[in-house]
Amino acid sequence: MYLIGDFHDQESTVRAVLDLKANGFNADDLDVFSDEPLEFRRGVLDRRSRMSLAVVTGAIIFCLLAIGFVHFTQYNYQLVTGGMPTFSFWATGVVFYELTLFGAIVTTFFWFLRESGLPRRASRPSAPMREPGTICVQVRSRLDQAEAAHRLLERAGANNVRRIGDAT
Amino acid sequence: MAIASKVMPYDEVRRDLWRPLSGASSRYIVVLVLLSAVALWGLVAWGYQLYRGIGVAGIRRPVFWGFYLVNFVFWIGISHAGTLISAILRLTDAGWRKPVTRAAEAITVFALMIGGMFPIIHLGRAWLFFWLFPYPNSRLLWPNFRSPLLWDVTAISTYLTGSIIYLFLPLIPDVAQLSTHAAGWRRLLYRTLSLGWTGSDREWHALERAMKLMAGIILAVAVSVHTVVAWDFSMSVAPMWHSSIFGPYFVVGAIFSGIAALLVVMSIIRKTMHLEKYLTPHHFNNLAKLLLLMSLLWLYFTVAENLTAWYGNEPKEMSVFGARVRGNFAPYFWIMVFCNFAVPFVLLGIRRLRSILTATIASVTVLIGMWLERFLIIIPTLSFGRLPAAWGHYAPTWVEISISVATFAVMGVLYLVFSKLFPIVSVWEFEPHSEAEE
Repeated sequence: MYLIGDFHDQESTVRAVLDLKANGFNADDLDVFSDEPLEFRRGVLDRRSRMSLAVVTGAIIFCLLAIGFVHFTQYNYQLVTGGMPTFSFWATGVVFYELTLFGAIVTTFFWFLRESGLPRRASRPSAPMREPGTICVQVRSRLDQAEAAHRLLERAGANNVRRIGDAT
Repeated sequence: MAIASKVMPYDEVRRDLWRPLSGASSRYIVVLVLLSAVALWGLVAWGYQLYRGIGVAGIRRPVFWGFYLVNFVFWIGISHAGTLISAILRLTDAGWRKPVTRAAEAITVFALMIGGMFPIIHLGRAWLFFWLFPYPNSRLLWPNFRSPLLWDVTAISTYLTGSIIYLFLPLIPDVAQLSTHAAGWRRLLYRTLSLGWTGSDREWHALERAMKLMAGIILAVAVSVHTVVAWDFSMSVAPMWHSSIFGPYFVVGAIFSGIAALLVVMSIIRKTMHLEKYLTPHHFNNLAKLLLLMSLLWLYFTVAENLTAWYGNEPKEMSVFGARVRGNFAPYFWIMVFCNFAVPFVLLGIRRLRSILTATIASVTVLIGMWLERFLIIIPTLSFGRLPAAWGHYAPTWVEISISVATFAVMGVLYLVFSKLFPIVSVWEFEPHSEAEE
């Protein structure tokens, strides 16, 4: 089940998140919804990201594929090069550079979709309804933890705590 | 320099920035129809060229690259507006960029789409443009990847893909909010584009990370794109083209004309969409100073390029150089210097004269000057090549002029439609500011 608390400022949101984490809820159980990005200090709600690593990997893969492809085309139908090498790395370097960056761009986009969970499928829980400007903290909780989570959200300053979903 | 005297509530920001999306004034419709008519005329001219053949254009021996290639280089240059303003300022965390970025990123995408069309228009048999794609065609030939023209294709395709993603990513939170308020086809459009965005911290975190990475990548692509465009010229051993500084020279010119285009667009949307509270004199002042800096850099490169040619006194180079500065092309050359240096230097260099109006005037002159610069780089070298017996002149025909003018109209149409569909200032990125900041 999910418990949802509405907050009006960032400080009370941070308090709620820290209290929940101190009482056994981990970061994966928590979601914070807002109209604009909230900047939490380190240690509050850290989200691990491998986007940079993925982008570098994507770029390298595209670069190798580009080199392989151009190499193949140059030998597949050999042009008259006047004694110059059939496959010239320097003369085709721009193509490799651009396709490397193309790989980085495409990987960034797809990794963004992966990490953000977009495009959101209908089967996944949707965002809680909230007033514009409010911050929502959503806690995934077992039935036996629900009371404690409810109390923690209220103590941190949530003005409206509600429960949705089945017990898990 | 005064702007909102108090911090503006988020609701007010949203109301102000969403207002231009609803309804269309009669003035908007008239401008849209006029621009569409001009764009349509350009399409008719292109259709005529396709029907009659490339001979209806003024490009013929020895000047095989005419207005089409001038426009190609010009529009690719304009596309640097979005990259510079958005990517550099995002990486340096400059807060003032926020109301400016989307307007700039949209320019990039539209300018690239327009610029990318010109090599196809220039082909003559435009329906065979897919021969540039890397697949073995009917003669089992592959494209020649050693050719700078193929470098162009990969560079521009990469830049266009990156620019569309770079424009789209920060648009997601805005369209998600719009989807809850819109109705009918707009609701469907916004819901589709929002990809089910909910505003969770995971999504924000991924978005910010992706934008930071994209800013770095797109900068590397942008610099390379105009360098590659410069190499189209400098890789050939033609007088006044075979120069090692052509890459950076083109990049500087591209950023210069990009900022000018952005200033013109900002000035128009500020007035017509009543965005005075968001696009403040502070933004114009900062961009005007940037434009002045680029003007000085452009002058430095122009002097460096021409002085070395003049001092070298190589006969082939001197015939092109002479045609530019004191021959047939001299009026264009000196108008270019006046537009690109004298006007910005006076209007933006003297602090008392610097205002939104003067920044806009200077930007318009810079756009004219930069178009002339592209013309002066391409045409004189082809007119006065290495063989005096093969010298010739170039005169554009009505077909080329119509298509060239139409591209400006197409830019206007695309921008008008975009500004009716999406907030031209990023709502979620906009941080309400106070007078003290100014």
